[in-house]
Amino acid sequence: MHTAALDPRDLRRHILFMAHHGRSAHIGCALSLVEICATLFGGVMRYDRSDPNAPERDLLVLSKGHGVMALYACFRELGWLGEEDLRNYLVNGTRLRGVSEVNVPGCEVTGGSLGHGLPVAVGMAYGLLRRQSQRRVWCIVGDGEMNEGPIWEAMLFAAHYRLSNLTVIVDANGFQAMGHTDDVLRLEPLAAKCAAFGFDAVECDGHDMPALAAALHAGDDARTLPRAVIARTVKGSGVSFMAADNRWHYERLDDRTLAAALREIR
Amino acid sequence: MRQAIPSLLLEAADNDERFLVLCGDHGYKLFDSLRSRHPERFINVGVAEQSMVGIAAGLCRTGFRPCIYGLAAFVPMRVLEQVKIDLCHGSLPVVMLGDGAGLTYSVLGTSHQCGEDVACLRPLPNIAIYSPCDAHELRACWIEARGASQPSYLRIGKEHPDDIHAGPVSGTSPTVVSEARHAFTRAVIVATGAMVRVGLGFAREHGIRCISVPRLKPAPVELIPLLADAERVAVLEEHVSAGGLWSLVLEMLQHAGVRRPRNIEPIGLRDAFTQTAGDHQHAMSEHDLDDGQVAVRLTHWLNAPLPTDARD
Repeated sequence: MHTAALDPRDLRRHILFMAHHGRSAHIGCALSLVEICATLFGGVMRYDRSDPNAPERDLLVLSKGHGVMALYACFRELGWLGEEDLRNYLVNGTRLRGVSEVNVPGCEVTGGSLGHGLPVAVGMAYGLLRRQSQRRVWCIVGDGEMNEGPIWEAMLFAAHYRLSNLTVIVDANGFQAMGHTDDVLRLEPLAAKCAAFGFDAVECDGHDMPALAAALHAGDDARTLPRAVIARTVKGSGVSFMAADNRWHYERLDDRTLAAALREIR
Repeated sequence: MRQAIPSLLLEAADNDERFLVLCGDHGYKLFDSLRSRHPERFINVGVAEQSMVGIAAGLCRTGFRPCIYGLAAFVPMRVLEQVKIDLCHGSLPVVMLGDGAGLTYSVLGTSHQCGEDVACLRPLPNIAIYSPCDAHELRACWIEARGASQPSYLRIGKEHPDDIHAGPVSGTSPTVVSEARHAFTRAVIVATGAMVRVGLGFAREHGIRCISVPRLKPAPVELIPLLADAERVAVLEEHVSAGGLWSLVLEMLQHAGVRRPRNIEPIGLRDAFTQTAGDHQHAMSEHDLDDGQVAVRLTHWLNAPLPTDARD
């Protein structure tokens, strides 16, 4: 399995480039995911850079499909997408749309309707475990997404069958579309909730790649439970005027804001 | 018909190591034989139908061929969006068994009744929909669904001890279950699922043609030539007529561009919930659909003057 080290700065540049070209919303939700994706593709996940559909790859499920630009940015770095794909983001008749879709190589599920990806990921992990496969499943959910009931149904199942090959990564940026997660529908104490649901739950700084890698890998050989990594992130991370400003769930980049944002990516 | 399900499940488990059955804590004794011979193939996911569909999709993506079972009110109705996104969009070969369709669960009331499942599923791309009338049609539909590379839904209606067909049927095309006594009889009953029994009884008594339609999607276009001589058609279903088989017959005739029968009578559920407690025939009576009411309606349909055709 050939993997690649991905530089978060490159990923952020790609995201901004795509968002500007495509006049896309959901910039903040993609930026909070950057280090999580870079860590997964940077050696945590088993995959083959030369083939997104390699049969023995680990499965990465982006349940919070709205963050898909972060995934596309990784695919660009891996060579699974070209410059043209990013330039044509959301352009009529092209293939990359605004939430993850299963027909893009590297996207394992159709996300975006929230609460769908985790149950599918749980089914994958259960199927792989039944087959005694060494492949693992990594599922990224949003904290806002955790309002959805099927998330908790799937967590019950994962714990009941002790799906030790499953890691759920919560992109806990503290926001959802219309406000603070704490104000809209309180999730905390999230780690305690996940632990009470039967997960091995850990928290870490979701922008600290060594900390993320440690949380994702910890005790790999002895795992007997599904793991939840609560990655504490900042929505819009990496661009000062977007960071923790929920307007960038919906705001679009113009030439001026793009230039200002790019200046900060060093 | 429902009694045939355990043997179909057993057979599939015996012959296909990829076969799994998932249920949302429903089914009572239906799975006893499967659980006894292949306990590892039966997964009760708990009262969690939404995640069950996603889990089935994930299992399918890792090489399994799951069947998911539920009451039709829950599978597919409660999980309609999961069916759309998790199964249909990736065109995953998961078979859904929706039991107790129509007003089967008359006693339990509105939440357990389901007269809208076909209308809700028909617009979804990639799905196949079946509505067998007896154990023989059920087997044919099951075999086709299990061999498909796309999701399928089998609608299991009110149980009746007697089969319609005398023996195994091949394929899922519309079948003439009662032929017209006179070669030129111009009235045809078209029925699906549990209503075939009622239509067939009337058809035999009056010597008219009765056709059972077990496959509803892909559209059973083989029906059209069977209606070629018909002046009047009655469409029987334990489902709302709008969006069900009645709509389907109208659509197919329109697409085929053939001369339409002058009367195409909807005999299905009304656009209303049932209101009172009671058994299946009572619930059907609220929709003018109990056995006696259907006979009266069919008699009227058969004898009413035909509307004047502007083309005549």
